[in-house]
Amino acid sequence: MGRTWTSMDDFEAFLDGGGIVEVDDDMPDAYRQAVFAFIEMHANSELMGGLTERDWIPRTPGLRHKMAVLAKTQDEIGHAHLLYMVGADLTVKTRPGMLEDLFAGRSKFHNVFHYQAKTWGDQVAISFLVDAAALASQQAVFKNCSYGPYRRILKRIISEEGFHMRMGEERMLRIAAGTEMQRTMFQQSLDDWWWPALQLFGPDTRPGDVLLRWHIKSERNEVLRASWVQKFVPLLMSYGFTIPDPGLTHDPAADTWTSGPIDWEPLKRTLAMGGPDSARRIADAAANWADTHWVRRVLDDAPTRAAGTAA
Amino acid sequence: MTGLGSAVREFLLAFADDEHLIGQQHTEWIGVAPFLEEDLAFSSIAQDELGHAAALYAIVAGDGDPVDDDLRIDDLAFGRAPEDWRSAQLVEITSDDWAHALVRHWLYDAAEQLRWEQVAQSSLTPLAEAAARAEREEQYHRRHADGLLDVLLPVPDSGDRLRTALADLLPLAVGLFDPVAGEAEAVATGVASAPFDSRLDEWTDRVRRRFDVDPARFLPAAPTGRLDRHPDFGPLLVRMREVIDLDPAAIW
Repeated sequence: MGRTWTSMDDFEAFLDGGGIVEVDDDMPDAYRQAVFAFIEMHANSELMGGLTERDWIPRTPGLRHKMAVLAKTQDEIGHAHLLYMVGADLTVKTRPGMLEDLFAGRSKFHNVFHYQAKTWGDQVAISFLVDAAALASQQAVFKNCSYGPYRRILKRIISEEGFHMRMGEERMLRIAAGTEMQRTMFQQSLDDWWWPALQLFGPDTRPGDVLLRWHIKSERNEVLRASWVQKFVPLLMSYGFTIPDPGLTHDPAADTWTSGPIDWEPLKRTLAMGGPDSARRIADAAANWADTHWVRRVLDDAPTRAAGTAA
Repeated sequence: MTGLGSAVREFLLAFADDEHLIGQQHTEWIGVAPFLEEDLAFSSIAQDELGHAAALYAIVAGDGDPVDDDLRIDDLAFGRAPEDWRSAQLVEITSDDWAHALVRHWLYDAAEQLRWEQVAQSSLTPLAEAAARAEREEQYHRRHADGLLDVLLPVPDSGDRLRTALADLLPLAVGLFDPVAGEAEAVATGVASAPFDSRLDEWTDRVRRRFDVDPARFLPAAPTGRLDRHPDFGPLLVRMREVIDLDPAAIW
């Protein structure tokens, strides 16, 4: 049996002192719900990200290249697998319950995976820009996360995501040094994915955000977003690409870049399952899930059948 | 040994093409297999098969001395005209049903084991080495397919789905044993120990024991020599080459 706290103040003092909550602790229900919702969204996003990428895996230009991108997507699905198990341990929902909610459009996943990867350039942009954004967010959680099981699996997730980002960067560099067609394609991908990737960080963190207060996250959205802009604007410009942000400003004295006004409407639409590819994405995933129900039904019943035979 | 000769080259390409296409077909299942562990297992198997293909193409590209050069490997893997492929139709057909994919995985891997055994003592050292590496992976592939079939076959509904898929696939699976041009030369030079179809009875026996059917019912009318492409092959090659075909000068 885990620890108990006499009051929320007592619990928050424990968290403020760097305390780590474990699954068998008698944590306040609001904390349990908040950490669960965060993990569930992360798990869903890893899975839906894998589904976004899978559209292009069979079309990867190169045999060993295909093995590498397959390994990357396999990592993403593996992250989802770990996260669903850690989420299920919180006993808010079962693992099948989480998947069924996802495929019924009842639960959330990151905005970027409500868009379709329409070209190979999009595939590269995802593993470069989007993975970098996701990695920055995860690092900020990992640094100081109060929920022990999540923090521990984030260590592995982050090390793999770092590798994905480098792979994306390497592929972006080949395109940057490539033909006119390649560069045009990637510029289009940048035009399409820049804002969704930037919006992955979410709007500015509200005062009193419980995720920060309970040390589930340790950095404000706007800080992470600004540092991502700071990294990618000069990098992409140095390869001759254009950042699709007319309001982008440069402070020469500090050599810093600041993005222009952000239109949050597209983000809001994705959260309401009204993103450009939300309907197809959910419908396809639900159809696949339904098509393979016969397998799960038999496997789920297998222990019962075995017990029946033994008796 | 110096130089493969065109016959042995054909023999190796047939094996490489089969490994390439079964791996390619398996990649279609990532994210849409029946459960997450299965997504991971199936994509690992796909990766292994693509790796075997790459190893075999590397031997061909280097004329017996494997190259470590993606462009030369990919030239063989993607650059040949359909009539120059030597794949079996089993790996060319589209499988959009999980029962179909699982049965194909089992049938293919049962044959693949025997096929690697034929070259385990090859006079072509890199091929014998590839065989040893492949078998270490293949035992897990077979265990994976068998583990699922052990549970799914005895249950009426799932068993029926799998037997329907088997009836569909078996004639094409037997085609894996169709002698390819160059095989006689490969055997004569010790690249392979014996013609692959000398193992057909053993494979047939395994199929019979696994699925409790008589494969003799499904024997193909005549061997094709792996020269006829299945109608699904054309669209498959277009899909595999979609990005490559955008710009012949591009390196990705």
